[in-house]
Amino acid sequence: MNEPSQYLGPMIKGTIDGLSITVRPGTVLLNAARTLGIHIPTLCHHEGLPPDGNCRLCVSQVGGRLVASCIYPLTADGFQAQTDNERIRYARSLVIALMLIRAPEAPVVVALAREYGVTEQPRLRRVTADGCLRCGRCVRACLTGGAEAVSLVGRGTARIVTGPFFEPPPDCVGCLSCARMCPTGIIGFTELFDRRQIWGRNFQLVPCPTCGRPWATEEELARLNADRLCPACRRRAMAEAISSCPTEN
Amino acid sequence: MRFADPDQLQDYCLNLPPVPPRRLWVCGGPGCLASGAEDLLAALRMEATKSGLKDTAELSCEPTGCLGLCQRGQLVTTEPDGYVYEKVSVEDAYEIVDQTLLAGLPVSRLCQDPSDPKAKNHPFYLPQKRLIMRRFGRINPERFDDYLRTGGYQALALAVRLGPEEVAFRIEASGLRGRGGSGFPAGRKWKACRTAEGDQKYVLANGDEGDPGAFMNRSLMEGDPLAIIEGLTLGAYAVGANQGYIYVRHEYPLSVARLRLSISNAEQCGLLGDNILGSGFSFKLSVVEGGGAFVCGESTALMASIEGREGQPRVKYVRSTERGLWDKPTLLQNVETWANVPLIVENGPQWFKSLGSESNPGTKIFSLVGQVRRSGLAELPLGTKIRTVVEEVGGGHLPGRFIKAVQTGGPSGGCLPVSELDLPLDFDRLPAAGTIMGSGGLIVIDDLSCMVDVARYFTKFLMTESCGKCLPCREGLAVIDGLLNDLCQSKAQIGDTDKLKELALTLSETALCGLGQSAANPVISTIRYFHHEYIEHEQGYCRSGRCQGMFIVNIDSDLCSGCGACQTACPSGAIIGRERKVRQVNTSKCISCGACLATCHFGALKTARRANHE
Amino acid sequence: MTNPDQKTLNSILDGYPGEPVNLLPMLQAVQTKFRYLPREAIILVAEKLSLPKSRVFAVANFYRALSLTPKGEKVFTVCQGTACHLRGAPVVIGALEKALGLNLGQTSPDGRYGLESVNCLGACALAPVVTVDGVLHGAMTAKKAAKLV
Repeated sequence: MNEPSQYLGPMIKGTIDGLSITVRPGTVLLNAARTLGIHIPTLCHHEGLPPDGNCRLCVSQVGGRLVASCIYPLTADGFQAQTDNERIRYARSLVIALMLIRAPEAPVVVALAREYGVTEQPRLRRVTADGCLRCGRCVRACLTGGAEAVSLVGRGTARIVTGPFFEPPPDCVGCLSCARMCPTGIIGFTELFDRRQIWGRNFQLVPCPTCGRPWATEEELARLNADRLCPACRRRAMAEAISSCPTEN
Repeated sequence: MRFADPDQLQDYCLNLPPVPPRRLWVCGGPGCLASGAEDLLAALRMEATKSGLKDTAELSCEPTGCLGLCQRGQLVTTEPDGYVYEKVSVEDAYEIVDQTLLAGLPVSRLCQDPSDPKAKNHPFYLPQKRLIMRRFGRINPERFDDYLRTGGYQALALAVRLGPEEVAFRIEASGLRGRGGSGFPAGRKWKACRTAEGDQKYVLANGDEGDPGAFMNRSLMEGDPLAIIEGLTLGAYAVGANQGYIYVRHEYPLSVARLRLSISNAEQCGLLGDNILGSGFSFKLSVVEGGGAFVCGESTALMASIEGREGQPRVKYVRSTERGLWDKPTLLQNVETWANVPLIVENGPQWFKSLGSESNPGTKIFSLVGQVRRSGLAELPLGTKIRTVVEEVGGGHLPGRFIKAVQTGGPSGGCLPVSELDLPLDFDRLPAAGTIMGSGGLIVIDDLSCMVDVARYFTKFLMTESCGKCLPCREGLAVIDGLLNDLCQSKAQIGDTDKLKELALTLSETALCGLGQSAANPVISTIRYFHHEYIEHEQGYCRSGRCQGMFIVNIDSDLCSGCGACQTACPSGAIIGRERKVRQVNTSKCISCGACLATCHFGALKTARRANHE
Repeated sequence: MTNPDQKTLNSILDGYPGEPVNLLPMLQAVQTKFRYLPREAIILVAEKLSLPKSRVFAVANFYRALSLTPKGEKVFTVCQGTACHLRGAPVVIGALEKALGLNLGQTSPDGRYGLESVNCLGACALAPVVTVDGVLHGAMTAKKAAKLV
């Protein structure tokens, strides 16, 4: 869902890290690099969500300037992009150092810090290490799911993810997509038998009509308008449907 | 009156009733308005009425746009003589009416130079070229006929005869550059928006003047709102837009009111709305009041705000002229850029290019504030030296002080040391020296200001105004702010300056929007030119006497006049000495608060390192 | 007058067409009337514009002209523009804090006074300036500020 559709015209050629590549105009640099097997670190980016380009970890160099790979469209023939050099590594190191202040224990940040040789600098610590990088993946997940129950609220370092009025979000359907999308895993939820709790809200889990396992909330199912089967039973039902299809010669 | 075609407009303008032979204009700029312009106007009108000027009284004493010399307000200027009166109070009303309005004589005691009362010879106005501000002191901005009388809407009347291509060509050929900050060539934007595909296009004016210390846009919106509206109409005509918005800062309610009034006046005359001047071109314009967020001055954030969202910038790899407001082609310019448009269309690109310098044609309004004798608004040709503005227009430093730096371009700009003051004010030379033109703010900083504190002030401002979307700006500014606070509170460590510099440079490389990318400019430029002050702060010394507890005060007995002003100001009784005798400091009692420093007009007070830091 | 009833709210908001472009103007209209945004208003605006409450709440939080808590009846606003800062706004703030017994940004518990700051009022030549309920006072000093109270 990264490819803006307004670009038309013939395919364009260019290089990424010296490797030649031909892409459709408007292809995002990150995706082009990935087809070449080039790894660019990302954090706020997720294939299933609209790109936002806010964490700046994926900076690469095109021409003389640094751009966010996850959202930068390749539009002109003869582009030359670099995804790894000293300047880029330096910029990414700073981003990681700042991430380390907020989320020093998050495995994803710790791994990045190790990869880039960044260590914690106590002199830089000016905000609380609350584990949240404000990347908004949860918010975008919630938006994509259609609930738009939580949002990023406030400015600057005071910005936090919350429901309206800093209260449990009334529009939350308890689908957990925010928690699953969170790169640092800081969005807490609990599940006990047929109860689920997230964002301070309690949900009753509905049993799967086939196996009887409680698996989704009523609100979530109402929104999905699905057949209420849990994923395992849905797969089985699908397989049965396919295998019972009359074969054509 | 509704003008069906250009000829009707022309006829109307030619047949406007004559103005009274002599008129008084009371400055209605932000500063004068605050110090009681309305009372003065009422007093003048009352005196005029008493003197029997009843019939024409209303036209004889009028409010007008900012006369610029804010420091010396209340200001009054006269027509046709062009006298300018400073520090006018209600008590002076009788004399002004009696002498000037009735007899045409100057009231010398209210003039800067009693022997030469004319504004054009005043040192403040002498280097200036007032084009954008030409109607300030000549019209009542709320009176539509005044605008028409002074050549208003002549450009539009001409434009509908010329056709949109020619209008766009004139702007492109003029070399006009955006007055909002970066100086992007306006003609390129116009062309891109003109050729962009789409039935729906927009023109926008940015009046979200958020730079602290800058008030040129406010003065323009309040002093000549119709020039902006005419400019927008011309722009819309040229690019094929039929809807426009003026985004005005929330803190400027008078600007909002004046623009709304002017729009409704223009609508009544058929100069906005359907089929303008019979050209078949229709254009609607409305004012959007901002919500109080500095970041909304950034183009994509401004559009987000109009669309009814949080004012957050979006990644700008596609230009607004292709996909702007509601993803439609959009032409966004600063209000001052728009105000240039009617002038260029009417007088032609060659005339415009004869002003200013080769690659920076035209004039620009600067707001000169800070520690300078005459602060105010001045319009000068681009390419004027900073020194000219500070020393001639502004009259130089305050008594007993010396100028240390000039900060340009608002919070995202930089500080230039005195050694760089011969730089011309243009869009290309300032960036080379590590600062920007911005919207034209010039802030004079003297020896009583600490450069680390100045950097801290701007960083704090930008930190609280950061929208918080991208990580480097949100988290990075908090770290920079923390380090600067430490420097100003003797909590710094050796090496903090280097750390600051690294952070600042990387922030400018990685931030998402233009504001974030320039947010570190105050830090970078002060480290570049005032590195020694940073090192001294690392060691716990503030030479300017601004950072409390980081200096002691000594008195130079050769310079001390014995006036005792410092002694009165000292809260701890550390300054001792008798009447009209040289004063001394009892260092053990000095709490290094700096309260005495600004009181000395003789430069006798000096700071020194505290003993425990040596 | 700060008790929001549905009727007053409706009378303020009914004039606006239900399009998202009116979000900020609607919130501003409520703010002007009540000197803050009552919870009911945010919910009502969200309903009228068919926007999620989370988004309206985020917008209400983002803009400084909007407030979620009632502002004081008499508001002292200190300009913190550059010119005002250089010419002593911090001292003026200190004096007002002391005179009002409030920190910057606070409103007194009885709702009578508020102390706020603004980035720049564009009256730089009169720096430092303070406005009291919109009336501007220039060339402030600590003493003059205390007198205003």
